[in-house]
Amino acid sequence: MSEIDSLRPLVAVLLPALGILTIVASHRRPNVREGFTILTALATFGVVASLVPAALSGSPHVSRLGTFVPGVELTLRADPLGMIFALLASTLWLVTSFYSIGYMRGLDEHSQTRYFAAFAGSVGAALGVAFASNLVALYVFYELLTVATYPLVAHDESDEARAAGRKYLTYTFGGGVAVLAGTVLVFWTTGTVAFTPGGIAELATADPLVARAAFALLAGGFGVKAALIPVHSWLPDAMVAPTPVSGLLHAVAVVKSGVFGIARVVLDVFGPETVQQLGMGLPLAAVAAVTIVVSSIIALRQDNLKRRLAYSTISQLSYIVLGLGLLSPAALIGGLLHIPAHAFMKLTLFFCAGAIHVETHTDDISDMAGIGRRMPLTMVAFAVASLGMAGLPLLAGFVSKWYLLIGSINGGNAIFAVVLLVSGLLNIGYFWPIVYQAFFQTPEDSDAKPLIEFPIGGTRLAADGGERVDEAEEGGGDTTESDAPDSSRGETDADVPIDTASRVEPDVEPSESEGRVEIEARVEGEYAVDRNPSDHLGADAKGSDANEDDDDHAEAAHDADDHYAEAAHDADDHHDDHGHHHGGPPPSGWERRGFGEESTWFMLGPITAAVAGAVALGIAPRGMVFLALVQRVVADATGVVF
Amino acid sequence: MTDAIALLVVVPIVLALAPIAFGRLWNRTGWLAAVVAALAHLGLALVVASQVAATGRFTYAVGDYAPPFGIELVADGVSATLALLVSVVTLAVVIYARRAGPDSNGFYSGLLLLTAGISGVFVTGDLFNLYVFIEITGLATYALVATGRSPDAALSSLKYLLVGTIGASLYLLGVGYLYISTGTLNMADLAATIPEVGYDSPLVLTGFGLIVVGLAVKAALFPLHTWQPDAYADSPDSVTAYISALVSTAAAYALFRIIYAVFTPAFDAAAPFALDALVILAAVSVVVGSVLAVLQSDLKRMLAYSSVAQFGLIVAGFAVANATAVTGGLIHLVGHAIMKAGLFVGVGALAGVAGGRTVDDFAGIADRAPVTSAAFAVLAFALVGVPPAVGFAGKWHIVLGAVEGGRWGVAVVAVVSTLLTLAYFARVVERMYFREAPIDASADADDSTVGDNGATDGTLASDGGSEPSSDDAAGISTEAKVVVVVAAVGAVVLGLFATDLVAVFEPVLEVYFE
Repeated sequence: MSEIDSLRPLVAVLLPALGILTIVASHRRPNVREGFTILTALATFGVVASLVPAALSGSPHVSRLGTFVPGVELTLRADPLGMIFALLASTLWLVTSFYSIGYMRGLDEHSQTRYFAAFAGSVGAALGVAFASNLVALYVFYELLTVATYPLVAHDESDEARAAGRKYLTYTFGGGVAVLAGTVLVFWTTGTVAFTPGGIAELATADPLVARAAFALLAGGFGVKAALIPVHSWLPDAMVAPTPVSGLLHAVAVVKSGVFGIARVVLDVFGPETVQQLGMGLPLAAVAAVTIVVSSIIALRQDNLKRRLAYSTISQLSYIVLGLGLLSPAALIGGLLHIPAHAFMKLTLFFCAGAIHVETHTDDISDMAGIGRRMPLTMVAFAVASLGMAGLPLLAGFVSKWYLLIGSINGGNAIFAVVLLVSGLLNIGYFWPIVYQAFFQTPEDSDAKPLIEFPIGGTRLAADGGERVDEAEEGGGDTTESDAPDSSRGETDADVPIDTASRVEPDVEPSESEGRVEIEARVEGEYAVDRNPSDHLGADAKGSDANEDDDDHAEAAHDADDHYAEAAHDADDHHDDHGHHHGGPPPSGWERRGFGEESTWFMLGPITAAVAGAVALGIAPRGMVFLALVQRVVADATGVVF
Repeated sequence: MTDAIALLVVVPIVLALAPIAFGRLWNRTGWLAAVVAALAHLGLALVVASQVAATGRFTYAVGDYAPPFGIELVADGVSATLALLVSVVTLAVVIYARRAGPDSNGFYSGLLLLTAGISGVFVTGDLFNLYVFIEITGLATYALVATGRSPDAALSSLKYLLVGTIGASLYLLGVGYLYISTGTLNMADLAATIPEVGYDSPLVLTGFGLIVVGLAVKAALFPLHTWQPDAYADSPDSVTAYISALVSTAAAYALFRIIYAVFTPAFDAAAPFALDALVILAAVSVVVGSVLAVLQSDLKRMLAYSSVAQFGLIVAGFAVANATAVTGGLIHLVGHAIMKAGLFVGVGALAGVAGGRTVDDFAGIADRAPVTSAAFAVLAFALVGVPPAVGFAGKWHIVLGAVEGGRWGVAVVAVVSTLLTLAYFARVVERMYFREAPIDASADADDSTVGDNGATDGTLASDGGSEPSSDDAAGISTEAKVVVVVAAVGAVVLGLFATDLVAVFEPVLEVYFE
């Protein structure tokens, strides 16, 4: 395999860095600044796309930057596996750049220069991860990616965002430490860390104990960013970031740098055969399978849309890891193809969530009944992408899942096929209610969704005192608007217990107050969620709104401090992520708007583009370049040509 | 053979007299003398370095008295690099001190004396001469710490004086033991004669123990570090930046020379427990230093404890007796000096804007001083060990060397030290960028940004150079800003060229580990 010496991979990595400079330099003129963002994204995409033919033909472009530390070269190589990730990141960055402009301006966000600069930095680092030609170079960009993303996670500058930022840094640097340790072990055993398709030969003959330790450290370290359970909990918390960040970074670039790292380790460091010999494939696949199922079940109970998407991401990322752990060629293809497939679909979903947030300040699923009238195109895109997530044919998710199913059966592990099918059902379980209530219900006649809102194992109406009349009449809104936001802000894993506990425990003080609120709501003929001072209410209702807020605080005594801090923050910063205090439908129900009139095209355009990508990948997988790249990678690593 | 190596010591000592002699004539004499000395030192260091690059290691007999009886100065890749480091740091601190003070001629005299002492430590090839230079370094440092005019500074200086003198005395005692057993003080000569006496001779072992403990006091390894946080916290910012970058560095360098040039790796083979003990001491220092740093609210104290941890890492690299780890220790020695000096100057400069130097005072400082804050953040992440900055290069070699040498404990500590370092820097960076400034200061900038699309928000990248022209930013002198930014850029660039640094150190270490 010949290589072409060229500066293009380096240029692709440096362009976003250059973009940072121009973005910062033009911070006084937002239009120019956004112009630079688009220009940089376009140029980066162009350079990355120009590398594709060479990668496919087997003579990739290589930029040699000299020796980094003795024995380790800092070299960027645009090989097929790297191209998958780079092409994906740069394509979707372009799409997301437009969306970012619509989102950030739509919400009048603060610190936009920092936001756009850090975004460019993150993408640059992600491209570096993609093109890195050895473990050390990969580690360099992997750590830079962590640093560059941190300002985006903590962007909101609220206590919640800072806590999420801290957690993010701790988790990912912890993972980085494991990666570094694994890298040192590999270097010590073999004297090289360069990626070799099919694996570094010396590792096959090395001391199995050391090799296993190195594999565990590397896969575990990268697994942090890939959000494998039990090191996943930074991801749902990081949803406090602006939605484009959640979309591009926490569904594509950052989390997939973790998955990509695992792919490099399996395919290019150890090689599928060695992994098989070491017996490390099955444990990896088992962790992935557990992650797939458990996080899907957790996702069922999330009322905050972005958190539900986050758990869905955790689950879907493990599809990829599962494919890499199963090691059979078809499973590898399925896993790798799921990188772009999931990216297009999940980006669509996040874009939709962001558009809803910008237009209606609604974040909770229970407030979204009938929202299909208000945002038809958005919700159609959402429906399509969520069907793809479930793996329905003609959509991107199907193709990769098909390969995964074949691969798991070929490999003699039919249990994993069952996991995949169950996961598909769970996907429908948590996405369908959103779509269903958006189109076929109105705020007035929406009801609680059995699988999602009722306590597991049936209802016990003793919960909140007798005042809770039939929920069907009152709508899901009244229970969730006070309970769910609290719980969704609490600790990640505690969501389910808190949710049910607050219903079941006969707690006198809260139930009284809630009862009173409920009575008020009925007297005034409207729902608590409707009392949105910023939308429509007079002074009188504002007063009762404040009352209700106070009651909320009393009820949520367990995290009262956080609450007050947030309330204070709300007061001076009205457009943060705590929109659920005043989200939800207006009292007259959602107004009906036509296709394309629901938001600016800065947001609708990217949504359309992303969902089109998801459909295209499903209908014509061979037409999209990704499948060709994936097949090339698998052929190089295993020798099996599809 | 060039006189430049001797002049590295002579020039600063002679110029140290200038502020005292002419200070009455012109107030600025001290600063001018310091600048001239720093530039001259830089020139001399470059001459020495180019000579080393051309011909390799060379020696210089002072006063033409031939060693082992005369004093010998030695220049090789390591000492030339560190001499260059002294010049650069001196120049940076002198530039910074022009505005930051302390603005007295006495300060500059002390500073130049210190420069001479440190340069001497780096170039000498004689154990007793090393003691002399260590004492010059120590005495000048005691005086400089006391230039902070607060009572606390006097107390810290006294504490440092007592502990430091004990350390130096232990060293001298150790040298005495070696002299009794071998009859020579020249390093190269000792390396040849100690094996004749026998590495297991009680005199030699005691001498080694005393010397190592004495230098560990000077390098501030836990639990011998107690002088250091007070001294760093109570001295003026310029002094802190200088001594944090160079004084402990000189002691650690002396430790390196004594382990490898005097005792040689053969000693490690003969008496492995000696270096084992040092490894344990260093590893404990890394962990405890970091934990203590996390507990500090005063940023200068935090950085001081951070030095305890980082020197633990450096000494651990030295004590893992193989070329890779020692290379890592030396890279981190140089890198730490640059990063820590930059961080201390950054704290000093930002404290002027923030109105205090506790962690909480720094809330929201990034909006008011974007360039300095960004450079500070870069330096912080560099010290954490985020590649490609120099902090990573050192750590990589130390970890790799530890694994090669089978010292798994050191490997684990060095790898985990990333997280420990992150633990104390992350909270500072978070407050700088993601917390509102205290009420009185935030009124001008923050609230107005919402309306005009965040046109005046904090900039992220270090190289922007365009900052909000609010009056607050005037609180940071251009000199300070330049020094911090240069340190940040230097830390990254040095990381990218770490291979060249390795190549410079390699011939020196090859001799020790043939």
